[in-house]
Amino acid sequence: MTHLEVENLTSEYLEGQLEPGLKREVEAHLNVCPSCVEMLEDVRRVMEMCHAAPQLEPAPWLVPKIMLATVGERKPGWLERWLGVLRPALQARVAYTIAMAVFSLSIIINAAGINLRHLTVEDLNPRTWIFRGNRAGHLFLARAEKFYYDLRVVIEIESRLRQLRYHTPEEQESPKQEPAPGGSTNSVPPAFPALATNQHRFADLAQPGAALRSENVAPLTLEEVRSQNP
Amino acid sequence: MEQEPELLNRCLAGEDSAWEALLKAYTRKIYNLCYRFTGRAEEAEDVTQEVFIKVFQTLKTYQATQGSFATWLNRVARNHLVDHYRRARKDRVTSSLEDELAEAEQKPSPHMEPTGQVESRERREVLQLALDKLSPDLREAVILRDLHDLDYEEIAQVLSVPQGTVKSRINRGRLELGRVLKRMEGMRGPAKAGNEP
Repeated sequence: MTHLEVENLTSEYLEGQLEPGLKREVEAHLNVCPSCVEMLEDVRRVMEMCHAAPQLEPAPWLVPKIMLATVGERKPGWLERWLGVLRPALQARVAYTIAMAVFSLSIIINAAGINLRHLTVEDLNPRTWIFRGNRAGHLFLARAEKFYYDLRVVIEIESRLRQLRYHTPEEQESPKQEPAPGGSTNSVPPAFPALATNQHRFADLAQPGAALRSENVAPLTLEEVRSQNP
Repeated sequence: MEQEPELLNRCLAGEDSAWEALLKAYTRKIYNLCYRFTGRAEEAEDVTQEVFIKVFQTLKTYQATQGSFATWLNRVARNHLVDHYRRARKDRVTSSLEDELAEAEQKPSPHMEPTGQVESRERREVLQLALDKLSPDLREAVILRDLHDLDYEEIAQVLSVPQGTVKSRINRGRLELGRVLKRMEGMRGPAKAGNEP
């Protein structure tokens, strides 16, 4: 095989497309011809370089430019037109205003006692709104007031009880009771003298107001407070 | 991506969105083909635009029985590139290989690129310069085969020549490209060596 024949078969040889007989002849020539080996290596390198060459990215404006040159100014679809109309309303400031308006409206509707699921003609009358709003406001105030007085009574009772347990000086100075010989199951541990001396009062607490009356403290019960503060 | 025949039918029906989708699918490929032929990014952009204008005007002449749309598109692009080359050859002042090499070496890098990227860019530029030295027949055959991975049959369809001619052109093109690259390396070697302290 000559140099020229090998040269003509170079690409097919490198791509593995030669018949076995021809391939053997080419290889036999390559074994004895360094210049053809060099030429083969050059072509192999060219193929590798081409295959390794990266794809180039066109400029981002190329497609819009071609669009403009072919179909002209693109007409927006109905969805894009609507979005264009709604775009100002989609700003954060407007969205916040709308959200606050909806929130305020929901509070008013709730205060007016309107049930949106069972709406009647009467519910649409502003006079009904005012009446219901007024009623709801007064009810709320009354509940708040009642809660406040209930809380006051509870705190007052608690403070009195605390006074009875720990802050009676003359009783704290009284002599300690000697424990009964042999011990007793009713005895109070000496570590709690005040509790021991006030034991009879705790027994009185079972009867509401008894202990308080004995200490000349205004006896207050929940029923009395409620009757005083309707 | 949407099925190609469906997309083409919608394009023929005048749907802008279908045409845009087709453009997005093929612009990169055609731009690369144009860049390999012209060797200049701006010129490649202009030619790509001209190719697609031609495609837009002649899309109704495409028939699926003649082959795939990609092959038809490549043929349109190639024919346009040949016309463009003939027009441009009259105006272009041919510069010597040495001048172009010097220009490529002196071209400043836009950013501080990592070594790997610089080497890659240099290799790409050298390959492009070497391709520019080939005759158009050989260049287009090598580009379609080695840079665009078309098979011999597709290249024969695009170039409208027999497969035997395609094989011969590709082989000659590769041999020629190998020689050009070797010459370029021979010139770059001493120049680089001379620059070193």
